[in-house]
Amino acid sequence: MEITEIQSGTVTAVAVKGRIDGATAGPLRDRLSKLIASGLSRLVVDFREVAYISSAGFRTLLIIAKQSEDAAGHLALCGISSEVRRLFEIAAFTDLFLILPSREEAIAELAKSGGS
Amino acid sequence: MKRPASLVYAVDDVPPPHVIAFNAVQHVGLIAINLVYPLLIFHLVGVPLPLIANLLALGMIVLGAATLLQVLRLGPVGSGFLCPATFSAAYLSPSLLAAKAGGLPLLFGMTLFAGLLEAAVARALPRLRAVFPVELSGVVIFMIGLSGGAAGLRSLLAPDAAPMSADEWQVAFFTLAVMMGLNVWGKGMLRMLCALIGLVAGYAVAALAGLLGGGQLGDVEKLPWIGVPDFGHLSWSFELAMALPFAIACLAAAMKALGTITVCQRMVDADWVRPDMRSATRGVLADGISTALAGLLNAVGTNTSTPSVGLASATGVASRRVGIAIGVLFLALGLLPKLTTLLALMPRSVMTSALLFSICFILINGLQVMTSRLLDARRTLVIGLALFAGAAVEIFPVIAAGAGAVWRPVIGSSLVFATVVGLALNLLFRIGVKQGVTLAVGPGRVDPGEIDDFLSQHGSRWGARPDVIARAAFATHQLVEAAESSWRSGPVTLQASFDEFNLDLRLSYRGEILELPEQRPTDQEIRESEQGMRRLAGFMLRRNADGVRSELHDGVATVHFHFDH
Repeated sequence: MEITEIQSGTVTAVAVKGRIDGATAGPLRDRLSKLIASGLSRLVVDFREVAYISSAGFRTLLIIAKQSEDAAGHLALCGISSEVRRLFEIAAFTDLFLILPSREEAIAELAKSGGS
Repeated sequence: MKRPASLVYAVDDVPPPHVIAFNAVQHVGLIAINLVYPLLIFHLVGVPLPLIANLLALGMIVLGAATLLQVLRLGPVGSGFLCPATFSAAYLSPSLLAAKAGGLPLLFGMTLFAGLLEAAVARALPRLRAVFPVELSGVVIFMIGLSGGAAGLRSLLAPDAAPMSADEWQVAFFTLAVMMGLNVWGKGMLRMLCALIGLVAGYAVAALAGLLGGGQLGDVEKLPWIGVPDFGHLSWSFELAMALPFAIACLAAAMKALGTITVCQRMVDADWVRPDMRSATRGVLADGISTALAGLLNAVGTNTSTPSVGLASATGVASRRVGIAIGVLFLALGLLPKLTTLLALMPRSVMTSALLFSICFILINGLQVMTSRLLDARRTLVIGLALFAGAAVEIFPVIAAGAGAVWRPVIGSSLVFATVVGLALNLLFRIGVKQGVTLAVGPGRVDPGEIDDFLSQHGSRWGARPDVIARAAFATHQLVEAAESSWRSGPVTLQASFDEFNLDLRLSYRGEILELPEQRPTDQEIRESEQGMRRLAGFMLRRNADGVRSELHDGVATVHFHFDH
């Protein structure tokens, strides 16, 4: 799995490439937790190049969303493919996150909200 | 059933009268393009103009009755959805063959036969998939387009046809340009009704160029506004040699009706998961009876109108009342001799442009259906050789002339020959395809690519749908991951078996059984414990499959997943 960070004003977009499963969810969680700990709690996770997410990946998203919220920030997701969206649906996770079609829309949405 | 947010009027809703009337007129306008099929058949066999007008009037009455039959749900007949009837391209090529071989009586007799056959097989249709797989349906749809388009072009360009004048070419290009332009760059209703607008524009330009009906245009003025069509000429005949082309067309029409009604089901239910075969087979039965009625009343074969269902989806108006209004409107149009005679005068330049426009969509639909399954070398050869067989008959008609009397019904039609070649190869290539396969993964770190490759390779051999294989791959990956902590020794064994209707997976490992809860664990439970994450995995696995069960025997845990196909 590859993780790339792009800073856009007060919002940090994190582009993930590959699978988010039991082997990769831990490193992703560590990377996102570090960003929040460093004061960057408005996060966009870009799923455009994510082909698969398992229960371990969903757990990571829940943990990061809580950490971000505790730091007065917000988590948004974007670029979710139809197959990954299906996995969000069977996990009953679609209503838990702010999900937007593109990275630009997600960054614009988070830029409007408060927090660092 | 959950009502989708985009639906303004559901099936049982009663919209205001002006909404019903406006929508019914739009649907009739959309369906009008398919009048080109009976017109082309009647023109190519030289039917006199007054008889064409009368046959079109009877055809309108058939479309009205067929739409009402589909909408009203009388006894075991009719899906109950807003799914109007239209004349179908599926019958174009066989109808031309029959009309040329035995005149109108044979055309109508064989249409009656096809309708009765469709009605007879309606209930068995879902089971026919085993011998008539989806990619072969795609070949049939594609060949319907190819053979129909070729027939249209022959009317213009064949050596024995009257040469096209420069004015005719200009009218043909103009008509096609209007249809294409509105379809590509138009918006809303202009785009939706592009074919009807193109037809009207083509008529107008043809009239200005003096190509509309010649001296016969004056006859339209002399006709009464209202008149009942003449039933006096009704006659039928049957020929065994024509049974195969019409049987294949009827099968194609039945499968299309099944697909269109499935689209209706999805449109009105946000919770739709899989087709409801009860309403679908009732709809196919209505479709078959409608084609039989068409044969009885001397019209050509009908089918459910897919563009009409698209219109209902776009407007959000799916009320049954609109369907009833469409039926009544068609019945009324059948009583207008001026209109049907004007339609019968359609210049060949306008007719051919309309035909080519509608054929484009049939060809692409066929390609999409062909490639909707995973294709391996066997299936590639089935599709490729079947298409070549059909194309050979169109390009070299001499093949049919040289065939014996027994083979002529098969080789004489590109549609039939392509279908028969495809069916035969499909049966032949079943030899050596294992329906049950096994893979052992682990112990140690599991390579996800190994599981994906295994399932996609065998999915291609089986001709499984890519979405079902993707669900099976998720089930395997997620189970292997979730069972990791309780996985004691040895590999996880994956056994997969497939037939046209089912994909079953059986995953076994030495370890503890995985819980498959019906309720999702809470967010807190998932965040705070590994057990919560495993329960989420079990919850997802349950929802991912159409059926799931687990068991523990002698320390070996086994999870069975079932996927409908």
